[in-house]
Amino acid sequence: MRGISLYVHIPFCAARCPYCDFATAPATSALRARYLDALVAEIAREGALLGRPRVRTIYVGGGTPSLLEPDEVGRLARALAEAFTVRPREVTVEANPATLDRARLEAWRAFGVTRLSLGAQSFSGRGLRALGRTHQPDDVAPAVDAGRSVGLRVSLDLIFGWPGQTPAEWRADLGAAISLGVDHLSCYPLELELTREDAVANWPGGGWPTLARWRAATAATQPDDRAIAVLYAMAHRHLARAGYRHYEIANWARPGSRSLHNAVYWRSGEWLGVGAGAHSHLAGARSHQPAALPAYIERVERALGRIADAAGDPAAEEAMLRLRLDTGIDIGRSAARWGTPASARIRGALVTSARRGLIRWSGERATLTPRGRILANEVFVRLLP
Amino acid sequence: MTEAQERIRNFCVIAHVDHGKTTLSDRILETTGTVNARQMRDQMLDNMDLEREKGITIKARAVRMAWTVAGEPYELNLIDTPGHVDFNYEVSRSLAACEGAVLLVDVSQGIEAQTLANAYLAVEQGLEIIPVINKVDLPNVDLDLVREDLRKALGFRDDEILLTSGKSGLGVRELLDAVVARVPAPTGARAAPLRALIFDSHYDQFRGVVAHVRVVDGEVAVGDRIRLFATDKEADLLELGTFAPDPRTRDRLLTGEVGYLATGLKTVQDCRVGDTVTLAIRRALEPLPGYRPAKPMVFAGLYPQSSDDHPALKDALEKLKLNDASLIYEPEVSQALGFGFRCGFLGLLHLEIVQERLDREYGVDIIATAPSVEYRVLTTRGAEVAIDNPAMLPDLTTIEEIREPWMKVTIIVPTQHVGAVMELAQGKRSALAEMTYLDPTRAMLRYEMPLSEVIVDFYDQLKSRSQGYASLDYELEGYRAADVVLLDVLVAGQPVDALSTIVHRERAQHTGRALVSKLRELIPRQQFDVPIQAAIGGKVVARETVKALRKNVIAKCYGGDITRKRKLLEKQKAGKKRMKMVGQVEIPQEAFLAVLRTGEAPS
Repeated sequence: MRGISLYVHIPFCAARCPYCDFATAPATSALRARYLDALVAEIAREGALLGRPRVRTIYVGGGTPSLLEPDEVGRLARALAEAFTVRPREVTVEANPATLDRARLEAWRAFGVTRLSLGAQSFSGRGLRALGRTHQPDDVAPAVDAGRSVGLRVSLDLIFGWPGQTPAEWRADLGAAISLGVDHLSCYPLELELTREDAVANWPGGGWPTLARWRAATAATQPDDRAIAVLYAMAHRHLARAGYRHYEIANWARPGSRSLHNAVYWRSGEWLGVGAGAHSHLAGARSHQPAALPAYIERVERALGRIADAAGDPAAEEAMLRLRLDTGIDIGRSAARWGTPASARIRGALVTSARRGLIRWSGERATLTPRGRILANEVFVRLLP
Repeated sequence: MTEAQERIRNFCVIAHVDHGKTTLSDRILETTGTVNARQMRDQMLDNMDLEREKGITIKARAVRMAWTVAGEPYELNLIDTPGHVDFNYEVSRSLAACEGAVLLVDVSQGIEAQTLANAYLAVEQGLEIIPVINKVDLPNVDLDLVREDLRKALGFRDDEILLTSGKSGLGVRELLDAVVARVPAPTGARAAPLRALIFDSHYDQFRGVVAHVRVVDGEVAVGDRIRLFATDKEADLLELGTFAPDPRTRDRLLTGEVGYLATGLKTVQDCRVGDTVTLAIRRALEPLPGYRPAKPMVFAGLYPQSSDDHPALKDALEKLKLNDASLIYEPEVSQALGFGFRCGFLGLLHLEIVQERLDREYGVDIIATAPSVEYRVLTTRGAEVAIDNPAMLPDLTTIEEIREPWMKVTIIVPTQHVGAVMELAQGKRSALAEMTYLDPTRAMLRYEMPLSEVIVDFYDQLKSRSQGYASLDYELEGYRAADVVLLDVLVAGQPVDALSTIVHRERAQHTGRALVSKLRELIPRQQFDVPIQAAIGGKVVARETVKALRKNVIAKCYGGDITRKRKLLEKQKAGKKRMKMVGQVEIPQEAFLAVLRTGEAPS
């Protein structure tokens, strides 16, 4: 085996962010200890089943991994070292700006972390309130400094398109991120999932109706698509001038600071995801674990393994993922990999999108145009068989 | 008259949809021992899936039964009648095959417009009517109110009215006795040359066209060479028989009997409902009265969703026509929709049935244009042209006059909804001809109204304004001059012929506005602004814009999201497949029916 990537999901959060649709659970959950036991057990089992493969990149996401106690972090590190050959080129941990203290940071350093992904979301108090976040604008800079002081690369997440956000406010957010000199930025338009999620069961009382109401009300007062498109174009322009390369639809990096782990997703590489709601892509097959904690724990305790996803069209899936990147897709290579009929269909679909100004060709390579990035679904739907 | 002929009773059941005709028919079959309870399939007489789902009977069938009264055996033929206004003519032929009719009224609903229309038709044809109130075992029924309906509308005496329950079988024996006692035996001369009335026909892949007939004069035997009056077709009879309810072959059918003839003919076009069967070597001089070729009243363009499906659509229409003499179609080309067919239907239900059968039985995905009536255009040169496709309307300067079909419309409605119904009808260019109260709770309104108004959303509106209680019947009254104009629709500056409609001049602007605003809702956002305009004679009367799509992206996509996002895209893809590219714009199927929905509140 050439080595895989590893995603580890830590669902616990101090508070619930109402827009978030990842598998989350309260930090005080009664299931926390059992969850960590299950996670450690799953790591051991998967490592053995896969023949203790080499792990190239690790991403610890959530939830809020940064609120794990140092001993919990240590236990996780030991479990990984036992199950896998851990010689990673990149280890990222997600952190909430308000929960990253010195002791925890040290524990993660010992874990082998090289990169810190901070959920800043906004530098505006108005923005953080609109998003239902509990940290303060002033928490971000110290968290960035703390990470850098121990030699970590730092990435920030920003969300735009929250109710009432003006272009000036967005520009201020971008300016603040740039002046902190972070290595990497992810900027997402606020997207609100309105269908019920399984992970809602992890929170006391469920609370989906409340969540749905918040999301519906927020969605109704968001800037319209046209305004969001304008904010997106602003990010593209301002970050380019500050030396950030727009290398994926929602990601920007300084030279040499692209996320190696996320690139595995976009290049259809192989990764194992462990923990509630984690997805895997191994030997060409996608699979996942349940997002609800009791269901996940039970599955692991009964050694049931992951749930297989319904198979999609792998050629179309690969094309869609690769097109997200500034490197796009080489249609010649696609033909070599997937055969003529599939690649001819994809080429035809891309030609149609090129006519609509969404795709640019250079030789056999197709990439999204700036307009194609924000209308990417218009390109992607045509790729489906 | 032979003794056997004197013992025949041919009758049908006239009832509104849901008034329990099928259940009562089942009880009749059971009570007469024609079908035992174990064989009983629910709703025996409706043998098409579609009919069962829609709860209506499309094709008439006849069942022969035995019934004994005072030790004397009788032969009863129960002839089924279609229950929808679109199939008026078929109903009239079924009635013509009978001497009596059971008028079935649901005690909780009272008499409905179509039932009444059919009852009048039966009275005109001299049938003996047996009024029956059904579902009398329901709780809280008001028998007197329904009796009053029957007295007022049709002049029955209370002692003539029978009470039944299809559910429990109550009153079924009394009903059968009344059929024997009250319905006269068929008259008809046994020695005369054969004259048999075709009241239904269907195509059977083994027997060819099977004609359901009532022998009026003479007799017919296996091996006879028959001749059809209207179509001049001849055929050798390979098989004949009766239904009980499965086919039972016989050697011959005698005067007054009801049964089927397997003609071996290849299409029902050759063997039409209402035509008369006689013998080739011993012809009757005159056909039976009342034959009329099927006349389509409503027209629509049917186009394949994908142009590759054009041969499949053609093939499916050909096959449907084998079994449906009233369906007509001819090739048509639309700039917007490509190659398709202009089809004529008896009415909206017939259109809907054909569409569903194309989809269900032939798997052809079609786009239907909004239905239109047939206009008669008198040109300045004195010619008369029939126009069934609005896009084909000649240049206005060459038109002397346009005439449109008008209907006599009968509506029966609970008195508390009369105001709402009148308000609706007023907006439909109608004239109130008559209003009578059937009983203190229900009124009957008669209108004269253009058919074009009836087919655009009238029935649905009528139902919603009367909380579902109003019932409707209509028949052609004649053609009248109409002050109408052609309303064109332009999408992104391109006229879309399939969206053109003919509308009354006074309301053209209003309809134009409603239509473009409906289209704005239906046409999805494209990558550019799409103006939608309504125009009369080149002059734009309404305009809306579908704003350009600015954002359609799943911005956040990591390992966990791929399958989920793919599903989302697959949903978008499925939506796109239902679109038709017209110029640079993707237009969904529903848009072509938007003109029907302009009355709806914007969603």
